[in-house]
Amino acid sequence: MHYLVLLYDTEANATTPGTTEFEAEMAGYLAFGELGGAAIVGGEALLPSELSRAIRISDGDVSVTDGPFTEAAEVLGGYYVLDVPTLDDAIELVRHIPATATGSSEIRPIEMLMPPSDGALPDGAQRYVATIHGTATEADVPGTDAWTERVAEHGRFLEGAGAAVAGGAAIHPSTTASTVRVRDGELLVTDGPFAEGAEVVGGFYLLTATPDAVVDVAAGIPTPQDGGIDVRPIMELDG
Amino acid sequence: MADEPSVPTAVEAAFRQEAAVALATVARLTGDVQLAEDAIAEAHAAALESWPTAGIPDRPGAWITTVARNRALDVLRREARRGDLEQRAALALAGLEASPTVVAPVEDDQLQLLFTCCHPAFAPETRVALALRFVCGLRVPEIARVLLQGEEAVGKRIQRAKAKLRAAEIPLRLPPADLLPERVPSVLECVYLLFTEGYAATEGDAWVRTELCDEAVRLARLLARTLPDEPGASALAALVLLQDSRRSTRVDDEGHPLLLADQDRARWDRERIDEGLRWFRAARSHPEMSAGAAAFLVQAAIAAEHARAPTWERTDWPAIVACYDQLAHLTPSPVVLLNRAIAVSQADGPAVAQPLLVALADDPRLARSTALALALADVAERLGDVDAAGAHLVEAERRAATDAERAHVERRRRELGVP
Repeated sequence: MHYLVLLYDTEANATTPGTTEFEAEMAGYLAFGELGGAAIVGGEALLPSELSRAIRISDGDVSVTDGPFTEAAEVLGGYYVLDVPTLDDAIELVRHIPATATGSSEIRPIEMLMPPSDGALPDGAQRYVATIHGTATEADVPGTDAWTERVAEHGRFLEGAGAAVAGGAAIHPSTTASTVRVRDGELLVTDGPFAEGAEVVGGFYLLTATPDAVVDVAAGIPTPQDGGIDVRPIMELDG
Repeated sequence: MADEPSVPTAVEAAFRQEAAVALATVARLTGDVQLAEDAIAEAHAAALESWPTAGIPDRPGAWITTVARNRALDVLRREARRGDLEQRAALALAGLEASPTVVAPVEDDQLQLLFTCCHPAFAPETRVALALRFVCGLRVPEIARVLLQGEEAVGKRIQRAKAKLRAAEIPLRLPPADLLPERVPSVLECVYLLFTEGYAATEGDAWVRTELCDEAVRLARLLARTLPDEPGASALAALVLLQDSRRSTRVDDEGHPLLLADQDRARWDRERIDEGLRWFRAARSHPEMSAGAAAFLVQAAIAAEHARAPTWERTDWPAIVACYDQLAHLTPSPVVLLNRAIAVSQADGPAVAQPLLVALADDPRLARSTALALALADVAERLGDVDAAGAHLVEAERRAATDAERAHVERRRRELGVP
């Protein structure tokens, strides 16, 4: 069973590379990586949300704006993809993610379409995370014809996008989400997504493209009627 | 209800009595609550068809469980033949094929189902609705009436929860020992809510409410037996048994609620009291417990004081006031303070209690409390101020939410001799 864990926090809590706070935080994530082991299928830290680009498509017109798809005090700062048998196993891991102690970690069951891969980056290319935002529709309910059609659309997008897609998943509706926080050592689990309203719906992609080309690639992702896509560069820690 | 039960009702009653445990057992065998629910529905249809003519089987529980097991097995084998068996279904099929061909329902299976319904990933109001559906076997319209909510809303809530149960893979199991301290509180709260919903004297569905009290008592006992290291579980068993010992004396012959002071103590259920006191001692023997467990224990202590007292007047009121002091510390709420003030009016007299009650009257959360208006009337009467008592009773009548409450207020007005 695959789960996408979306790590939300205020960007004021983010640490700067090179500082001791950053080193301490990285140590926390390294420890989590060891704890999770093979259950962690993927995971990345994201660059600040001001570097996001929001894509909105209506009647075939594509509009792109700088900045995140939705402005919020607490924004997506990173994610993990976990492969564990049950939600309890996911919660037991997520409680140890450093961001869970300061922010909110949303656990979403997903259907893996293409496992995240980390091949070598082509020249000039960057890695990005594309999240679909909008209001949940019938197409977000597994078992419905609309869901089957949506998954097929994602499949066609994956085929067409070729090497530009390094991973992707269809996400179950936000009503299946659980949000986890740890405060003063105490685990707090709540029903539903971290933020109601403009939550992540439908799907999640890992893209590999140049800054100029990434919007064209992302604009091909199937989106709900009133929704759109947030494309955010990944923080490359090794490079 | 002295009528002879008609055939369908007897069949229905026999089925319902066993179906909830059967569901838990089939869920344990398959690891799939949805599959178990569908299989029980099919067993229900089969029972409605054969029981009225062939008679109710000697062991209806085993009949239902076995039929449901076989139906679930048929469904999975058909899926397997079509070659589209998901991993979950393959596990369920293996589980069923390994089970005996005749299966008896196992009461303990309901505990793991209860833990699943009370999973922290469900909102508290969803947990209660799920427990009523899957553990108590109530149908959506009944759940809606018990929770005083709309049928459509309750139906949607349960549907959404079932979808989450399946998509997010919420496990069906008793949590491992290291998770129990985190998982037990929501289960205990849910069982206590089942009990209080059943115990509340609102109109309609009397049998559902009686059944709910019985269910809650049974589940509390089961939890206390299974989790001897959890003081909260024994404290809850003590609390519901001690409160439930008074069930049959809570209303008079016309169905009007009777105050504790007016109840016939000779008719209190001694067996329940003795069992409640045993669980109370077991809970109290734990050197440490969480605030939630302690709150159940203190409430049980209050119920125990009432159970021990030979009469209302000869109740150890100072001990009860001390319990309410602890409870107010653990779970501060205006209702706790109101009950404390009522105990003070007995322990220290109406003159001491009156200012406490007057202060509570300013709390907006008690603005619609019939109990507060009745308590103010009581102290005013005991202080000799019949006019003030009458005015408080008029207010109590205005606030009364049910026919039973209105009848009670009216009786108090007649006793006081005010119009």
